[in-house]
Amino acid sequence: MSRDTENVVLFLLGMCTAAIVVTGTFTRYVKPTLMPWLAVTAVLLVTLALSAIIRDVRARGRRGDDADHQGDVEHAHRSAVVWLLVLPVALLGFVVPPALGARAAEPTVTALPRMVLLRPFPPLPADRAPELPLPEVVVRANRDSANTLDGRLITVTGFTLKEADGIDLGRVVIICCAADGHLARLHLRGPAAATAATYPEETWLRVEGTVVPKPSDVAGLSVPTLTVLAVTPIEAPQNPYEY
Amino acid sequence: MTVAGRTRQRFAGSMQVLIAGLIGLALFGGTARAFVVGRPDLAKAATVFCGVFVQALPFLALGVVISGLIATYVSPDRLARWLPRRTGAAILTAGIGGAALPGCECGAVPVARRLFGDAATGDRQGAAALTFMLAAPAINPVVLVSTAVAFPGEPAMVGARFTASLITAIVMGAVWSRWGRAEWITRRLPRSPHGGGSKWTVFTEAARHDFLQAASYLVLGAATAAALNVLMPPTVYEHLAGQLLLGILTMAILAFVLSLCSEADAFVAASLTMLPLLPRLVFLVVGPAVDAKLFAMQAGVFGRAFATRFAPATFVVATSVATVVGLLFLGGAR
Repeated sequence: MSRDTENVVLFLLGMCTAAIVVTGTFTRYVKPTLMPWLAVTAVLLVTLALSAIIRDVRARGRRGDDADHQGDVEHAHRSAVVWLLVLPVALLGFVVPPALGARAAEPTVTALPRMVLLRPFPPLPADRAPELPLPEVVVRANRDSANTLDGRLITVTGFTLKEADGIDLGRVVIICCAADGHLARLHLRGPAAATAATYPEETWLRVEGTVVPKPSDVAGLSVPTLTVLAVTPIEAPQNPYEY
Repeated sequence: MTVAGRTRQRFAGSMQVLIAGLIGLALFGGTARAFVVGRPDLAKAATVFCGVFVQALPFLALGVVISGLIATYVSPDRLARWLPRRTGAAILTAGIGGAALPGCECGAVPVARRLFGDAATGDRQGAAALTFMLAAPAINPVVLVSTAVAFPGEPAMVGARFTASLITAIVMGAVWSRWGRAEWITRRLPRSPHGGGSKWTVFTEAARHDFLQAASYLVLGAATAAALNVLMPPTVYEHLAGQLLLGILTMAILAFVLSLCSEADAFVAASLTMLPLLPRLVFLVVGPAVDAKLFAMQAGVFGRAFATRFAPATFVVATSVATVVGLLFLGGAR
């Protein structure tokens, strides 16, 4: 690849990085907190590419089309491997792969997003049915010595997962990027679970219910069960993952 | 005329191919997207690839800014003057100095390549640069804090990770100064293309060159990681509980395969609760030192002859050091 083409690829990569930041699609691949750093990276790449292009144009203008110097400007270090950078340009700029699906994140090792010690959690807000992130429900149900979930109506959002023994509510959790995505889930049971089961796989739902207290003799981590009272289908949220 | 003619033609060649490719993408991007979305395995591989690449991009950018500054302000003689005269002391300084680069492993590779300089400047500097490359992503404060957060009940994990990674880096630096050969470094740093020029020119040219090279190989590594991520059977973890040696070996291989960022790997290791701590420590020590994407990047910036020797050696050293340190710090198979 010639030096000029390298500069164009560098410029395009910078623009694609800017594009996924501006359109917000970067949240399909990494955490939202990376946004300022991605923006700075985009600016840096575009600056590097433009300054090289401007320098080459000026150098060419100074030297004219003198044959001896042409080789100097397109200097000897050239490698075909830079063609590989066309792959991220194509994927980020044109194809834009979707967010991780439920089944893609499925090889779940544990339902807990991270190791948390048994401790008293702060009490839930006093509202009728406070909204909780699904992973937090899993953590509280397993690791809360203050039993803040007991007897409380809560609201959880997630997508449906049809299992052999009933319907589950799932959410893909990422720690850093899509490569470490895994699935957190709740079993849905109770009066409105049958309604939830009528929706197709991976329908986004907002669910109201109470968590069934975990039997004290279960030592390990388990998937909590939610007694569902109400189910509302919703639009897919802006951020596809929980963190 | 003939030289100019040929150059012109080649220039037009790669540019035309690129433009044709872009037009093709613009026309058939939607079709390509539908094709990817319709195949769950392909969609997952594409998303994982984008995840690894986009996550690494800002760290790589930080790395090439630092390497550009080194190219601009730190001449090889000055670096040689800063380093302790004795090889052992130089390696030790570089290892501890690694704590000062708060990034992950992608940024450390181009920085290390700049510090390495031309092999002619002496093996002391080369060994120090390699030690820095292995130490920086594993023992910097950001990584240690995230390890502490991921393993709340196990403060020994942080100490064990720090110690094992630092020892691995120092051992590999010493191994290089003893057995390393300059002729394995087949990739040279470019001479300043416009005969020196202003500081801005030197900086942008160095950063541009280092980014293009490291990022191209990052693509190769991220693609490998994405493919393996999809092909890896999910049951692999379930067979490991209770088998310590097999667990250690598998976690070392898994660290190589998954190519996770060193700032995130602690959380992944923490979630593998069915395994004892020791194999998970091996995972944390091997990952930042050698993995699929690092191997590709090292081959790109140092040369293939170097990477095919250095990476397997690092893998063996990191696995054994982590096992020994783990036995001492964590008391075996807990």
